[in-house]
Amino acid sequence: MGTQFTVRRIVIAGVLAAIAILLGVTRLGFIPVPTPAGNATIMHVPAIIGGIMEGWLVGWIIGTIFGIFSFLQATVPLFKDPFVAILPRMFIGITAYFTYAGLKNFNESGALIIAAAIGTLTNTVLVLGMAVVRGYMAPSVAVGVGITHGLPEIVVAALVTWAVVVAWKRIKTGRDKARI
Amino acid sequence: MEDFEFLRNITIGQYLPGNSIVHRLDPRAKITIMLLMVLPITFSLSYVSNVILLLVSLGFVALSGISVRYILSGIKPALGLIIVLALLQLLFYGDSFVPPNMVSVTLFRWGIIHITNGSVQLVVVSTLRFLDLLFLASLLTNTTTTTELAHGTEDMLAPFSRLRIPGHELSLVLTIALRFVPILAEQLETIMKAQASRGADMGKGGKLQFIQTTRQVLVLLVPLFINSFRRAEDLILAMEARCYVGGRDRTRLVRLRLTRTDLLAMATVAAFAATMTLFPFPV
Repeated sequence: MGTQFTVRRIVIAGVLAAIAILLGVTRLGFIPVPTPAGNATIMHVPAIIGGIMEGWLVGWIIGTIFGIFSFLQATVPLFKDPFVAILPRMFIGITAYFTYAGLKNFNESGALIIAAAIGTLTNTVLVLGMAVVRGYMAPSVAVGVGITHGLPEIVVAALVTWAVVVAWKRIKTGRDKARI
Repeated sequence: MEDFEFLRNITIGQYLPGNSIVHRLDPRAKITIMLLMVLPITFSLSYVSNVILLLVSLGFVALSGISVRYILSGIKPALGLIIVLALLQLLFYGDSFVPPNMVSVTLFRWGIIHITNGSVQLVVVSTLRFLDLLFLASLLTNTTTTTELAHGTEDMLAPFSRLRIPGHELSLVLTIALRFVPILAEQLETIMKAQASRGADMGKGGKLQFIQTTRQVLVLLVPLFINSFRRAEDLILAMEARCYVGGRDRTRLVRLRLTRTDLLAMATVAAFAATMTLFPFPV
């Protein structure tokens, strides 16, 4: 996929960015898990879906907008740092797109799930990495948070991504009616 | 029923009308000032410089006429998490961070708990940094309408169009996103009510029922995504039917103009930010 801005890419990026913002402000994007920090996030899923459906450019824009909003809305010191909140999020959609593009010829569903997992890992690893580099967390704490949060986030992100993309593709190709 | 009402809780870019000098500044000037201030705030590690930066940020808030209490009220729900994170940082960071020009001094050690002068400084600096950025970010969104922000971003990216950075398209994406948030919030309410009326349990499953919560979220998210794709397709069709072409030759109803005050404000902040970034503070 090229780097041109088509009307389609502009609109899809805008709408998916709106979902990312919405998930943040309604707390729907946080799933309570039994860990100290308390929540696993799925707010990065729109960036993954955008990357998979419309290419890395769209994924990059959604990730960046998501990052800027999580920075503006942050209520904890960690995410009030642009290097933690914005920079890592730019890469979520990009890695998800390239994973999907590389694997989709083998197995469509498998590619979706692995792409979602890689996109989520990009978020978790880069955010925690920056948290350590910028001095908000000790490396050992970061590894603990990474394992307790990273795993549930990967599972949820893969489920949501797979369900959404498969449902949409069926509707679009007319093979099936919406069964939601 | 209150659980389903999202529209009233959406406070992003909560614009508080006013006529202060901060409100009247050009959005480009405000964005520039914000970016200039972020530089010393993110890079300075000394106590003195961070206190100065906090005072200056409070000064900006005072100029805008917005109450400090209003801004701080936003962090109340997260206070517990903030304290937990700060404690983790204080107790376990150990001597991984040594302040510049200093040696690491252990203040307290007991088992794996290891407090040094470095970890104390880190906690203090990151709390002050958080407050600075909280004030500045709230100030930007509280005194600027979203339209102004989008126009401002577009104009600021315009000089880069030679480098093939499409400022107009990027600001259009931002405008669409901001416009769609309330529409999708309404949609989400409808979906939640529809699922609840079919017997779906929308109450949160609690921390231990992580799978149940995920399933609850899934029955909301899939329809939400599909619905927004439908809306996106409609918008794409409408824009293409009207032969939408972005870019250079488009004109706009509102033209932004930089006044002398804007230039003066930007120059002052630039000088201040440069001094703060480059000056070697001893502590």
